[in-house]
Amino acid sequence: MIGPAPGIRLKVCMAGEAAVGKTSLIRRYVLDEYDDRYLATLGTKITKKTLTVQDPKGAGTVTVHAILWDIMGTSTLRDLLKEAYYHGAEGIFTVADKTRQETLGAIDSWVASIRSVAGDIPTVGLVNKQDLEPDPAFASGEIEAFFEKRGWPWMYTSAKTGSGVEEAFQRLVQAILTARPRT
Amino acid sequence: MTAFERPDTAVLVRQRLLENADDVDALFVLAALRAQRGQLAEGLDILDRVLRLAPAYPGAWRFKAKLHRMRGEDEAEQSARARAEDVER
Repeated sequence: MIGPAPGIRLKVCMAGEAAVGKTSLIRRYVLDEYDDRYLATLGTKITKKTLTVQDPKGAGTVTVHAILWDIMGTSTLRDLLKEAYYHGAEGIFTVADKTRQETLGAIDSWVASIRSVAGDIPTVGLVNKQDLEPDPAFASGEIEAFFEKRGWPWMYTSAKTGSGVEEAFQRLVQAILTARPRT
Repeated sequence: MTAFERPDTAVLVRQRLLENADDVDALFVLAALRAQRGQLAEGLDILDRVLRLAPAYPGAWRFKAKLHRMRGEDEAEQSARARAEDVER
């Protein structure tokens, strides 16, 4: 039997409030599909994706087996389940919804919870639903300032159109590989 | 803009279990809801059912280790942690 191609295994956690589009982003990235219906995630779903990226520490490319943990956006159970979900994570996608301003501020608690288990791991912010009109409650420049203050790279994405999704995953994987100690 | 309200987690769990009593995602969250209310023994029973149905359910062994730790059951905690390492390998 032929096993998976040799490469690097990376655990990536998707974090953010309910219905920001975590499941849809993974679905778009892995299956190139989108479903408009909202089905709340219970527990966690694991999806695997193999990708080839430039080795940030060498001249060639490297095969990465990304293990994507799509974690339910129930903040009330976050602390109780944090070891179960975040142990061994090497990168975080923290997701906000462009149409709901409150989901941006909520990011801090998700990242703090993950980092309390997994350490100071690379984090990329995603502001999803780029295809929709923004929540008017956002002040001008608020999103840019939020991520700049924390020093996290970020980008707009749309799971519906696919905009920014592939780039986001490439970016986080590159950041993880850069942060990894050379073996 | 209408404010989004996620359905209550406990309600979602009940709905899913009515549709399928062996829904492991719903059972896992039910175990967490019980533990959150301090019902650790009941939470562990439900978690054991999850692990019988899906022995590699993501995070379940680590959660079991945590619940045993909360009950002061060191040996059971270590055993669950070792199983977690196995399934995550």
